[in-house]
Amino acid sequence: MSITTPAPLFSATAIAKNFGGVQALRGVDFDVVAGEIHALLGQNGAGKSTLVKILNGVHPAGSYTGTIQLDGRPVSFASPADARSNGVGYVPQEIEVLEQLSVAENVFAGRTGLGTGMLVHQRKLEQRAGEIFADLGIDINPRAYVASLTSAQRHLVMIARAIVLKPRVLMLDEPTASLSGTEVDALFAVLRRLKAQGVAMIYITHRLPEVLAICDRATVLRDGQVAVRIAREDFDAETFIFSMSGQRLQRLFPEHAAPVGRPTALEVRHLTVAGHSGAVHGARDINLRVAAGEIVGLAGLLGSGRSEVLHGIYGRVPADGEIRVAGQSVSIKSPRDARAAGIALLTEDRKRDGLLFNLPVGANITIGNLAPLLRHGMVRGGLERSSILTAMRALNVKASSPQASVTHLSGGNQQKLLFARVLMRAPKVLLLDEPTKGVDAATRHEIYRLVVELAEKGVGLLIVASELEELIGLCDRCVVVADGRIVDEFGRGEGGEDRVLRSVTAAQAERHAIASQASA
Amino acid sequence: MNSAAEVSASPRDARSFRRRLIGLIAVGEVGVLAAMALLIAFFWLLEPAFLSERNIRAILNVVSFVGIIAIGQTILLVAGEFDLSVGSVAGLSAVVAAKLMTAAALPVSVGILGGIGVGALIGLLNGLIVVRLGIPAFIQTLGMLFIGQGLIQVVTGGYPVYPLPEAINTIGGTDLAFGLGWSFAFFIVVALLADFVLRRTVLGRNMYATGGNKEVAHLVGINTSAYKIGAFITVGALSAIAGMFVMADLGSGGTSIGSGWELTVIAGVVVGGVSLFGGAGTVAGGVVGILMLKVVQSGLVVIGVNSNWQQIAVGVIMVMAVGLDIVRRRYFIAGA
Repeated sequence: MSITTPAPLFSATAIAKNFGGVQALRGVDFDVVAGEIHALLGQNGAGKSTLVKILNGVHPAGSYTGTIQLDGRPVSFASPADARSNGVGYVPQEIEVLEQLSVAENVFAGRTGLGTGMLVHQRKLEQRAGEIFADLGIDINPRAYVASLTSAQRHLVMIARAIVLKPRVLMLDEPTASLSGTEVDALFAVLRRLKAQGVAMIYITHRLPEVLAICDRATVLRDGQVAVRIAREDFDAETFIFSMSGQRLQRLFPEHAAPVGRPTALEVRHLTVAGHSGAVHGARDINLRVAAGEIVGLAGLLGSGRSEVLHGIYGRVPADGEIRVAGQSVSIKSPRDARAAGIALLTEDRKRDGLLFNLPVGANITIGNLAPLLRHGMVRGGLERSSILTAMRALNVKASSPQASVTHLSGGNQQKLLFARVLMRAPKVLLLDEPTKGVDAATRHEIYRLVVELAEKGVGLLIVASELEELIGLCDRCVVVADGRIVDEFGRGEGGEDRVLRSVTAAQAERHAIASQASA
Repeated sequence: MNSAAEVSASPRDARSFRRRLIGLIAVGEVGVLAAMALLIAFFWLLEPAFLSERNIRAILNVVSFVGIIAIGQTILLVAGEFDLSVGSVAGLSAVVAAKLMTAAALPVSVGILGGIGVGALIGLLNGLIVVRLGIPAFIQTLGMLFIGQGLIQVVTGGYPVYPLPEAINTIGGTDLAFGLGWSFAFFIVVALLADFVLRRTVLGRNMYATGGNKEVAHLVGINTSAYKIGAFITVGALSAIAGMFVMADLGSGGTSIGSGWELTVIAGVVVGGVSLFGGAGTVAGGVVGILMLKVVQSGLVVIGVNSNWQQIAVGVIMVMAVGLDIVRRRYFIAGA
């Protein structure tokens, strides 16, 4: 299958990297030839982003093992800037633009002198940016201010920024995550032109229809290894799904039988949630029911609307629809209302919206839960301390004392601390957003057991997790979300990771078809 | 999951003394107090008159005025905002109260309440605009600084309000003990109360959470807007009270009351370990910081340093104090 393959332009051999004992990559070989679009696939945690960060200098040479070659010569990048100057460009998934500047200034960000000295040649910049756009078939006025552009146009500006240096290798990380169907077509046209110019491209995505549409070769990563490498003639959605979800290191999930005939803990009817500022996706017309003692998983890709459903229920973002807790209809306008109704939320991002780094371990657990620890409006120090110690013991939070700083706790201990916080009020409904993200294997297992224990005590749990194996192993029932809608639902034993991927892919293909029709 | 339950019962060994020492140093106020003790000794050695009764009284008297505002500023900084209009508010409240008592011939108590009302109202306005409209506190309160200065001129026509009712002069002139009057007593009582509230009550804890991470505070059900607006109102009202105490002390509703205080107050509380980024610091620290700043200013005067150099010293001390605080956090708290 590789007899006529030309020599690779950019290649990585036997790349291995570990993060504090976790082996993220175990000897990955990867290469891309000039004029090729090479898809890099894999589930979250498979090692895609680690590989890309190595190839692009974010993880500098020396922090991993293995070799990288460009044009047959070994290279070692000390930084992304170093990679760029060697002809390896990268377009990140998140849009990073300078909104107050013009399109042309953004395209040449950091190089507005055009190498001629200290002065900015505004007109020359605009002219050069215009040439690049014309060359790529992009229709954006270089003089426009970026603040006035759509997110799709901003993405194109970022691609143009990477193109300015005439990279020979270009990595695109989920370039379509924020684009609509017609915008995807426009992006593909640009990529085809770059391909014709001989640029080697690495295309990271979760979306199989796009791989089928534009890529020449695909490499699937799984558990830090190459699961399979497929040439275009052998492309087939089923093959991808199979190789992405194939049997991995067997994880043990505690046994839990779905409750039968238990009352409803949470019921959501026609819930419509606004997208976060700037994001395309919210969630619409979501109908869900979680029985007391039931563990329900919300499966879906990043940006599918799965987290938005949790945020909508918790009152973190505005939502319309009916929410009932234990049969009672409740009106939730803010997290405060949700808590009063007996709902608790464990957020996905511990650092951004979980921990209070200015407060010690103990106060982090009791914050928002101080009401029962008061006398005459004052916090009773002794009572607070003993309830903190009880909570720490119950959840096995390992910290030197309640006065310890949370900064130095491991990810797993931080996560258990946050569990202690949300459990202190004995919620009836517990919403968990990526409960095992960034925690070690032992804690992961403790969390699984905790989830099952809580279910056995009658708590209704609704869980979002990117790792499908985990979600399917843990949950009594999985609800699949794509594009903000529920597209499938199945009980324990009725399907695996492949079923989720298949439903999501079908939903995406449908959307793509509708968008293409609309644009035709 | 209840193995490894030894959460805090570490054996008391030789390291416990060292740990306690580090713990002591890690308490923000201790560092400032130690630095202040050194400075006092330094000035006293150069000029024993520094510790004369008269000089100590003068320092404490000045601290009582600015310190009242520092209490409010500390609370507001803990909640994650700050206020540059405190000096203007102090001045405006004083002249409004003075006008109410004289030109409007209202009872003294009504005048005082009016002054406090002006301060609280401006605090409310600052809070609403910052929280609801999302205008940065820096801009809003800087704007309010100018507005307040302008209003002082509008209210007074540029002339000090004089004479004031006898009751006001009595408040200003009372000697409770050691030549210190009502302003000092008020300062001490409010400082103790505010320190206690921040340390021991839900209100205080929620204030730290709000200033530490507004989103987290919101998610655990804290009404962060109410806390921030409440803190703005507190600063406004305390500034008004401080302004009126100065007025009583001077016996006149002067147009320059409060002028330039905003920066002194912020410099002082920052020296005392209150973070400009919110969620960290104590009232005790803020108050000690102000005290230290005034000790330095007074000490430099007493030992005969040129007044220009006093300004320079204040600047250097503030930057050094924050620098030392960063070092302390890095080595004693992080490494402990």
